Amino acid sequence: MPVIRDIPLSLEISEVLRREGLGGYSKVRPEIKSLITELLAGVKKAHLLEPAVAYEIYSITEMSQSQVSLEGNLVLQCSLLSSLLPQAKELAIAVCTIGPRLEKQVTDYTNRGEPLRGILLDGIGSAAVDSLTQEVCKFITGEASSRGYQASSPISPGMPGLPITEQWQLLEMVPAREIGVSLTPLAIMSPRKSTSMVIGIGPQMTTWTQAEVCGRCNLRRTCPYKVIPRRGGVVKRTDQRL
Amino acid sequence: MAGDLVNTLADLKEQEVIKIAKDRLSAGEEPLKILDDARKAMGIVGKRFADGQYFIPDLVYSGEILKAVTEIVKPKLTKVAETKRLGKVVFGTVAGDIHDIGKDIVVFMLDVSGFEVFDLGVDVPAQKFVDKIKESGAPIVGLSGFLTLAFDSMKQTVEAIKDAGLRDKVKVMIGGGQITDEVRKYTGADAFGKDAMAGVSLAKKWIGAG
Ligand code: B12
Repeated sequence: MPVIRDIPLSLEISEVLRREGLGGYSKVRPEIKSLITELLAGVKKAHLLEPAVAYEIYSITEMSQSQVSLEGNLVLQCSLLSSLLPQAKELAIAVCTIGPRLEKQVTDYTNRGEPLRGILLDGIGSAAVDSLTQEVCKFITGEASSRGYQASSPISPGMPGLPITEQWQLLEMVPAREIGVSLTPLAIMSPRKSTSMVIGIGPQMTTWTQAEVCGRCNLRRTCPYKVIPRRGGVVKRTDQRL
Repeated sequence: MAGDLVNTLADLKEQEVIKIAKDRLSAGEEPLKILDDARKAMGIVGKRFADGQYFIPDLVYSGEILKAVTEIVKPKLTKVAETKRLGKVVFGTVAGDIHDIGKDIVVFMLDVSGFEVFDLGVDVPAQKFVDKIKESGAPIVGLSGFLTLAFDSMKQTVEAIKDAGLRDKVKVMIGGGQITDEVRKYTGADAFGKDAMAGVSLAKKWIGAG
């Protein structure tokens, strides 16, 4: 089962700012911006990011309203697929992580009485997983198109229609252990800076933007981390999530 | 002069704030008055945060500056003034949830606002909250949780506090990304806060200092 490592991540300051809750194109204090720049350099220098992805592609054998059956007698409880991607022929399952090093450093900063550095580095970590997730989506889209198929945007456990607890099943379907990702009793992934997703593959797949996902989330009114459609059009990012 | 410290801190001008605090101290000013001004400034920061001028990093930055001022002033405080805290708060992320950053921010802001906070960490079993409330005598409990699945842990924690006969001795506040008044009702908590400043306001209100 495939594992990819050493994926180059692009960490744009605007993305980091969004993950700090500063995404509404607001004024950012120069001290905070320069601290983020300094932390970004530190992340590189200390190799705090160890991106790794475990993925697998399964053929769909049957799709009902509430569940999807896959080759090897696997069943996924997911009502989103039949509504969003009824024509999917295959399902790509992926688990992404940036590893435990960055979050250990966040804890160290907080314990050392430097919470500002802690929260800014935490935001950098979230932006890094976002970037990794985007890279994985691009990779799967490329893989699908080499076989004449399209790939959908990702669907993540925790979205309405795909319970978080389905991660138990998903993590069994990819070599998650090989990349050091496991689940806590309430189905949260450890390391924390990890994501999981399913992507539909088929002749004609629907895609959506992160701004659209945020626009449908029940936290849309209050969430400081949402992606806001830009004036004069939606932010163009078709393969982003959460 | 006093206005200087209040406004420079409210504007988050770290170096200037530290200079003013040192100057005022060496001019022989009462250390508690300096701290009082710093707290006034935090009131302005809180308002700016509430109306969207400031963001979480700004808020935490203001807390760090306040902490620096406190460190400068501390050696000059009398023992009595130094140990006088507003009140005790037991805080933690509930069982099953491991989100720490939101909790850490609230804990930090409560701490710099003058509370003595017992931070139990993440994935905290209900019994641990109960034990700490008994041991510390804290009248306020803060529960943090970001997952839908954590709502049950919050409810169980409030119930455990009740079963231990402590429910009428403590006020319980909850918070985290998805918390609403519906969730508050479900868990049996007394109030919910949408951010760190809301947590500080609730705690102050409950101890009669707000
Ligand atoms: C950043 C984020 C991520 C990041 C980082 C996660 C991490 N732990 O480091 C990444 C991208 C990695 C991620 C991944 C996932 N996430 Co996530 N994530 C979030 C997000 C956007 C913010 C959470 C956070 O850390 N906030 C940081 C703090 C600082 O934010 P804050 O809320 O502003 O904090 C304030 C208040 O909450 C308050 N507060 C907090 N506690 C308390 C307590 C008291 C008493 C008071 C008064 C106030 C208070 O004060 C704080 C400071 O002002 C939330 C959505 C949201 N808006 O909450 C989803 C969210 C928590 N994630 C969610 C999901 C589903 C996931 C994934 C499972 C998705 C997936 N399948 O990949 C994974 C799981 C990761 C894992 N380890 O298992 C869901 C959970 C849904 C559910 N059913 O429970 C959410 C709610 C998004 C959503 N709407 O679907 N996630």
